[in-house]
Amino acid sequence: MRFDDPTARDPRPDRERQVGRAFVELADTLVDDYDTLDLLDRLVTHCVHLLAADAAAIMLADAGGELRTVASSSEDAEFIELLQLQAGDGPCMQCFRYAAPVSAPDITTTDRWPAFTEAATSRSLFRSVHALPLRLRGDAIGALNLMHHRPGPLPAQDLALGQALADVATIGILAERSIRRSEVLAEQLQTALNNRVVIEQAKGILAQQAGLTIAEAFDRLRDYSRRNNLRLADVARAVTAGQVEPATVAERRGTARRR
Amino acid sequence: MGERGAVTEALADLAGEELDDQSVGERLCQACVEGLDVDGAALSLLTAMAARETLWATDSVAQRLEDLQFSLNEGACIEAATTGAPVLVPDLFHTTETARWPVFAAAVAEQTPVAALFALPLQWGAATIGVLDLYRCTPGELSRAGWRDALAAADTAALLLLGRRTRPPPAPDGPPSSSPDGGRDGDGWGPGVFSRPEVHQATGMVMAQLGISSEEALARLRAHAFAEQRLLVDVAGDVVARRFRFTEEMR
Repeated sequence: MRFDDPTARDPRPDRERQVGRAFVELADTLVDDYDTLDLLDRLVTHCVHLLAADAAAIMLADAGGELRTVASSSEDAEFIELLQLQAGDGPCMQCFRYAAPVSAPDITTTDRWPAFTEAATSRSLFRSVHALPLRLRGDAIGALNLMHHRPGPLPAQDLALGQALADVATIGILAERSIRRSEVLAEQLQTALNNRVVIEQAKGILAQQAGLTIAEAFDRLRDYSRRNNLRLADVARAVTAGQVEPATVAERRGTARRR
Repeated sequence: MGERGAVTEALADLAGEELDDQSVGERLCQACVEGLDVDGAALSLLTAMAARETLWATDSVAQRLEDLQFSLNEGACIEAATTGAPVLVPDLFHTTETARWPVFAAAVAEQTPVAALFALPLQWGAATIGVLDLYRCTPGELSRAGWRDALAAADTAALLLLGRRTRPPPAPDGPPSSSPDGGRDGDGWGPGVFSRPEVHQATGMVMAQLGISSEEALARLRAHAFAEQRLLVDVAGDVVARRFRFTEEMR
């Protein structure tokens, strides 16, 4: 840090600045021709940083009403979502069902979701889970999950910020293309879920070709998309269709902007 | 949101049945005509090499729509297949949308009573497996619930067709590849597979290992799971963790 860095003397607390920056970045994304999955991926990363969560994930309901994970900050977070899907219950599912926030300050002591609690406790990944709805006109189209290794409630201020981030996710999904018909929402969700399949396949191809872990492969895919101002799903599609060399995408570049 | 529509419900029951492609097409199209505000439906399969095959059409008008598109090589269904996005034309005569396929639109007006057309792609990742075409003789949009039901039905049909096309052949004396209970194949193939990232990641890795298409890669994974009597998700997990890799010699 340079001594004349104006931000160094900024009297505001650090987090407030970070929150401001996060929303500016998200707003910038919304103005461009963006990809819903890319936006949701940025959102879960912000959630982890701003809310001091150990992991975050977003689930959306598909056309059949089933929840599916579309973005997660880690494989562990993805796994906890899966446990809830398999158990058919859990904070995230309940949050989605009632379109209301659901807090589980300690998942090992609650008896609200026995099947989920049993599965989650045996893996001892997270102790607390907080779920916030992606709200739309009284309905929920999905849910944002915040996970912590330590038990405890989330401060009201954090819940409010988390809800604001969840609302940005909803806006992002709705606005990806102009809303011409009432059917568009279902179509957007379906496209996002299908794009997720393409992205997972592309991660596999890159991991195999460049000898990377799945997480590293996703980092390279994301960096390549942002560096070239392309949509994540489009790059993934090009990789799976063999239209771009996996090596080109997997190449590590120092210029990539890291958050 | 939440509860399933009538069409999705009708298709969910099919998961446990031994159906060929045509029967899947028949049941899907009939469920659409019964459960949605449409007059007819057709399902066409898009195979490799841009070959097309109409699996089922509920009536001669639906069949005519398919034939016209395939012979003219343009139309809502062709567009849905190429772009991977649904094409909705609630009013064929009052829209600028038909300007994208003028010859087809003119032929439809001349030869059929169709006024509204909805084409939904059946997709798996980047691959389009087929297209579901719905038509109505009066103009108008599908209801929100109907639209959601149609999308979910197309999704379920995609899963059924993909499942059939990648299912390992039954061994002469071995266990059947499809279990009668629970409506799932022996390797755990079912709706849940779509939400398991490791299945898609492993598909990508096998694509790269053998230089094959996503559909072939999935078929190889399923064949291996079947031979080892294991679940597809477990084999996928092994591939992703690099505990197991496919080689050319294993072909």
